[in-house]
Amino acid sequence: MPLPARRRRGTVASYRLFAAPALLFAAAMIVFPFGYAVWLSLSEVALGAAPRFVGVANFTRLFGDEEFWNGFTLTLELYLVALVLQLVIGTWLGLLLARSRRARGLVRTVMVSPFMLPPVVVGMMAIVILDPSFGVANWLLAEAGLPPRLWLADTETVILTIAALDTWQWTPFVALIVMGGYLSLPRDVFEAAEIDGAGGWWRFRHVTLPLLGPTLVTAAVLRSVDLLRFFDIIYLTTQGGPGRASTTLNILAYRRGFEFFELGYASAIMVTLSAMVLGSVLAFARLRRAVAW
Amino acid sequence: MVTRRLARAADSIQLVLVLAVLVLPVAWTFLSAFKPRTEVAALPPRLLFTPTLENFAELFGRNDFLLNTWNSLVVAGGSTLLGLALGAPAAFAMAWHRLSWPATATLFARMAPGALFLLPWLVMFSALGLVGSHLVLILTHAVITLPVVIWVLLPYFDAMPRELVESAQIDGARGDQVFWKVALPVVMPGVIVAAILSFVFSWNYFLFALVLSGIETKTAIVASFNFIGEGVTNWGALMAAAVVIAAPPLILTLLIQRRLVGGLAAGAVKG
Repeated sequence: MPLPARRRRGTVASYRLFAAPALLFAAAMIVFPFGYAVWLSLSEVALGAAPRFVGVANFTRLFGDEEFWNGFTLTLELYLVALVLQLVIGTWLGLLLARSRRARGLVRTVMVSPFMLPPVVVGMMAIVILDPSFGVANWLLAEAGLPPRLWLADTETVILTIAALDTWQWTPFVALIVMGGYLSLPRDVFEAAEIDGAGGWWRFRHVTLPLLGPTLVTAAVLRSVDLLRFFDIIYLTTQGGPGRASTTLNILAYRRGFEFFELGYASAIMVTLSAMVLGSVLAFARLRRAVAW
Repeated sequence: MVTRRLARAADSIQLVLVLAVLVLPVAWTFLSAFKPRTEVAALPPRLLFTPTLENFAELFGRNDFLLNTWNSLVVAGGSTLLGLALGAPAAFAMAWHRLSWPATATLFARMAPGALFLLPWLVMFSALGLVGSHLVLILTHAVITLPVVIWVLLPYFDAMPRELVESAQIDGARGDQVFWKVALPVVMPGVIVAAILSFVFSWNYFLFALVLSGIETKTAIVASFNFIGEGVTNWGALMAAAVVIAAPPLILTLLIQRRLVGGLAAGAVKG
C-alpha cells in the first residue's frame, strides 16, 4: 500500500476543490435545465397536468410543420447573409485598419462602440431611423431621388434589413479580429511576395487570405453562435412580423413556449436549434484544421 | 511615390466613410434625446436646436425608469460579483491542474439558445417562489457572466509563474491563502477586464429578464421594450431611454478597449 510517509508540501497540494462551487452552479443552472428541456421536448405538456412522455412525437410533428420550415429557412437566410457580409466587409476593413495603422485612439473607440451597445438599443435606433413615414432614412432616400422603402415592415426584405442591422453592429468586431490576426503574421512572407513582383490582388488571394484562414474561422465561429440564436433585435422591432416574415426558429420557439405555453413543442424547436449551433461549431472546428498552416 | 500617396489618400477616404456609417446613427440617437419634443420627428431634420432635458424629465418622471435603472444596476452588479466569486477560483484550479473539460462545458452555456434554459428555469423558480425577485435575475445572469470570467481569466492564470505558488506552499500557506494572497493579486488586470465584460454583458442582456422579472424588478432594457409595445410614438423619451441604457456599456468599455477583442474572442481560439 503506497503510504506517503511525509507528504512533501507543495507538490501534492490540490486546488481542485476551488472549481467545486462553479461546477455545482453549472450543474444546477445549466446541466439540469438542459436535461429537463430535452425531457420536455420528449413530452406532452398540458397546463396544470404532469408532463407525459411521448417519445419523438414532438419532433415528428416539428418536421411536418410548415411553420418550422418557414423559421428554418429564415434562420439560415439571416445567418448566411449576415455572416458573408460581415466576413467580407470585416476582412476589407481589418486590412484597411492594419494598413493605415490607425486603429488607435478615436478610431478604436468608434470601432468598439457598436458591438458594446445593447442589441435592444440598436433595435430602438432602427425603429426611429427606419420608420417608413417619419424616419430619417426614407427622407435621405427621397433627397437622393430614390423611392422610399418599408424596411422592417416589408415582408420581402425584413430579414435582410435585420441582417444589415447586425452587420452594422458586428462587422467592426470581425475587422478588429482580422487586423489583430494580420499584424501577427510573419512579415518576411509579404516582403518575399513583393520582391517577386506579385500584384496587389494576387498577393491578397494567394498570400494574405490563406494566412488569415485560421483568424477568419475564429471570427466565423463567434458570429455563427450569435447569429443562429439571434433574438433581441427581432423581438424588439418586429416580434417576428410582418406576418411571420421574420419568425426565425428562436422567435418561433419563444412564442410557442411563452405565449402559447406549448412547452414540449417549444423545447423540441430549441433542442433542434441547439443541435444546429453545435453542428456549425463542429463544422468550423474541422475547417480550422483544414486551413491551419 | 505618387502612387503610394494616392493609395494612402484612398485609404483615408475609405476609413472616414466607414467611421461615418458607424458614428452617425449613434450620434443621431443622442441628438434626438436632447431635442425639444416638437422637433424630434421633424423632417428635414433640424441640426440646430436648443438642447433640452425634457425628454429625460418625462422618462424619469412619468415612468418608473429610475427604479428600472436601479434594477439593472443591482442585477448586473450582483451577477458580476457572483460570476467572479465562482469563476475566479475555478479558473485558478483549472489552470493549475490543466483541466480542460470544465472550460468546454461552460462553452456549451455560451452556445445554447438562452430560451432553451428559460422554460426549465421558469418551472424551477416558480416552484421555489423566486420568479420576479432580484435573486433569480442575478442567478440566471450569472450563467452569462461565469463563462466570461473563466475564459478571460484562464490565460492570465496560465501565464502566472508556477514558482510563485510553489514557494508560497513551501512557506506553509494554506490553499485559500495561496489563492487570495498570491494568485489573485497577480491576475488583477484580468479580473478588471472580466468584471467589466461581465457587467456589460449582464447589463445588455434582454431575454431572461423579459420572462423572469416582475413589475418591481423590471430592468431598464425590459422597460424600454414595454415602452415600444405600448405603441408610444414619443420618440424623444424613447431616445432618452436609449441613451440611459447605452451610456454605461460605452463608458465602461472605454476603459478596457485594448483588451476588449481578446476578451470577447477568448474561448473560440481553443474551442
